[in-house]
Amino acid sequence: MTHTIFKSIKLINPATNFNQKVNVEIHNETIINISKDLNLEKFNKDNQTIIYDCEGLTMSPGIFDIRVNIGKTENLKFTQIIAAESGITSMAILPNQTPKLNNPSIIDHIKRQSEDINLPKIMVCGAATKDLNGLEICEIGLMSEMGAIGFTNGNKSIKNSLVMRRLMSYATMINRPIIQHAEDEDLSGLNQASTTSIKGEMNEGEISTRLGLIGIPACAEVIMIERDIRLAKLTGARYHVAHVSTRDSVNVIREAKKSGLSITCDTAPPYFSLNESKLLTYNTAFKLSPPLRSEDDRLAIIEGIQDGTIDAIASDHRARSKDTKAQPFSAASVGASGIETLFSLTLDLVHKKIIDIDKAISFLTINPAKIFGIDCPSLEEEKVADFIVFDENEPHTIKQENLKTSPTPFEGKKINGKILATYINGQVAFMNQIFKNKIIK
Amino acid sequence: MNKLFKNNSEVNKFSPVKLSSHHLLAIEGMQKSEIQKLLDRADFFANLDKHADTKYLSGYVVLNVFFENSTRTRVSFELAARRLGAEVINISLINSSIKKGESLLDTASTLNAMKPDLLIVRHPHSGAPLLFAEYLSCSIINAGDGRHEHPTQALLDALTIKRRIGYLEGLKISICGDISNSRVARSNIHLLTTMGAEVRCVAPSTLMPSKLEKLGIKCFNDMKEGIKDADVVMLLRLQNERMSGTENPSEREYFKFFGLDETKLSMASPNAVIMHPGPMNRGVEIASALADDTNRSLIKTQVEMGVAVRMSIIEALNHSKNKT
Repeated sequence: MTHTIFKSIKLINPATNFNQKVNVEIHNETIINISKDLNLEKFNKDNQTIIYDCEGLTMSPGIFDIRVNIGKTENLKFTQIIAAESGITSMAILPNQTPKLNNPSIIDHIKRQSEDINLPKIMVCGAATKDLNGLEICEIGLMSEMGAIGFTNGNKSIKNSLVMRRLMSYATMINRPIIQHAEDEDLSGLNQASTTSIKGEMNEGEISTRLGLIGIPACAEVIMIERDIRLAKLTGARYHVAHVSTRDSVNVIREAKKSGLSITCDTAPPYFSLNESKLLTYNTAFKLSPPLRSEDDRLAIIEGIQDGTIDAIASDHRARSKDTKAQPFSAASVGASGIETLFSLTLDLVHKKIIDIDKAISFLTINPAKIFGIDCPSLEEEKVADFIVFDENEPHTIKQENLKTSPTPFEGKKINGKILATYINGQVAFMNQIFKNKIIK
Repeated sequence: MNKLFKNNSEVNKFSPVKLSSHHLLAIEGMQKSEIQKLLDRADFFANLDKHADTKYLSGYVVLNVFFENSTRTRVSFELAARRLGAEVINISLINSSIKKGESLLDTASTLNAMKPDLLIVRHPHSGAPLLFAEYLSCSIINAGDGRHEHPTQALLDALTIKRRIGYLEGLKISICGDISNSRVARSNIHLLTTMGAEVRCVAPSTLMPSKLEKLGIKCFNDMKEGIKDADVVMLLRLQNERMSGTENPSEREYFKFFGLDETKLSMASPNAVIMHPGPMNRGVEIASALADDTNRSLIKTQVEMGVAVRMSIIEALNHSKNKT
């Protein structure tokens, strides 16, 4: 039996538009009391109750990270542990791992493998097409029954228009979203037939010209989104665009939303924090897909976050070994770590006065849940105690040496805000020393 | 002391050049004064009898590491190093260790363990020499990296022009052809604009890289317009091996619009000279007769100047390393 009281904590609960300083009492896996007044004396004689003084700290639902690649160097449990340390209480993993998540039994297997009640929940985005080859559709109905929450080709586009149409149409029967990595891979030189000498490597523009790297035009993204929007209109599908990175994409999605289509999108911290100028030293930590874009695109992503065109912020975690990154830019692997910096970089939007804290928390919690149509996390009495405690202002510097996954594109960035504790089902999944010291009794 | 190696800064041509770095990775970012000094010293070497005693780098070990095919550049570097008395080892890594799965950095650190003084690197990937410079303790010369830069080619082109015309500042220089895939073009753009020349690039729109004009030059799709009144017409090879088949309809169509012939050349200044970094495709980039016209074509001089320029660079890197 556990009984814990969080005294004088600022509780942010976007599902009920709640943002007040309260005392939160949890018993086993349930929140049993949220109140302004607390009679501590009642608990003083009771040795079973732990009380934390949370003056200056904040509590919110745990993060739902909707885009996580489990790489070759990581296993599921390892990723769950670092996710818990990063304030994540559930995450959606992509099908492009080995073996590919493309049939109901493997989804069931993943579910069982990750059942540890005290670690972040694993949700699966199933493969949309067999072997992610973009040609034949997978058993998305059966995978959906096994718990797959959406379908995607992972980091490759669903390129064939007929396949996309059928997928969207079929997915309406099971009411699941189709998630697209939007990129015209012929245009970006990334289709499988491309020779290595013409593979797109970075955003096309002055900097790609200076560096002699192959450019990917920004429009390679919006071309795919525009096509998909027409197919979504034709089929009535729920369509989600992953990691939006350009101004044109934001504009097109904004218009499509206005027309009433069921369209959502997310972005990731690199696309609102960084631009292509970071590549000037050929630093492969910045080799991402989609590539880092122009400053104008970055500003458009911020506008999309402000006006709600962009629904969610995901880590787009795609950790890579140092060996595959210590290569000439063209030969280096694509992707960067993200889980460990997702929270503080999203909070950076609050410190920069781009959005308020309630909105920032929504981007990481209830908005992702709405995209997938799953229960919105909410911290209310009688609800499950899945939450995080953080210090909004704790200053720190992102350093690779302190992270467990690599590479970070944010090396040396000074940032405010830190996760102090993560509770899953009322149990401590992570707690750092600062928070341990807050104990009163 | 050897008479060619006087530590007298006033007699510029008689002393090795000191650079701010002990690598030569790119022209972009180099100071005008450094380029000027390297060219002066190279000019001095070019005037020497080829049997003159310039062998004062004895014991200096140069590794010529080529990850991509090359004949003229590799031989030119080798000759330059040998004329300075250095020991040269040629290593062709086009297939060997790469195929065995060894990473580039492992290859680099293996070579580094042999303690060379200088590594001359050609690599198919842009930026690869920067990676070597980051991890190795010896000096690095970029002998061409992907589509990025080929700094020694730009220096030898500049020396060739200077020796023919006498100066660079204010010259109208048109670089024509496959700009997109050309490291020679990028190095020449940076060098020639730094030295005050007026640079234009002429290419089909499919071979003109994005926002090239931001490098301080003018861009043309019409060759006659692009070489109008030019003092120098510099042609580039069509690098078919770096294309996808969508850039250019055919070689004969290319020659019609972008190959240099008498008609197009008549638009340039009457004394205009013709250059090509080689290897050239006769009848594609240039009419064969023009390539052989010794009054106008400096193509052979370019090759000759390559050795002198590379001597001045190898010497300068040695000098810059010793003094820093």
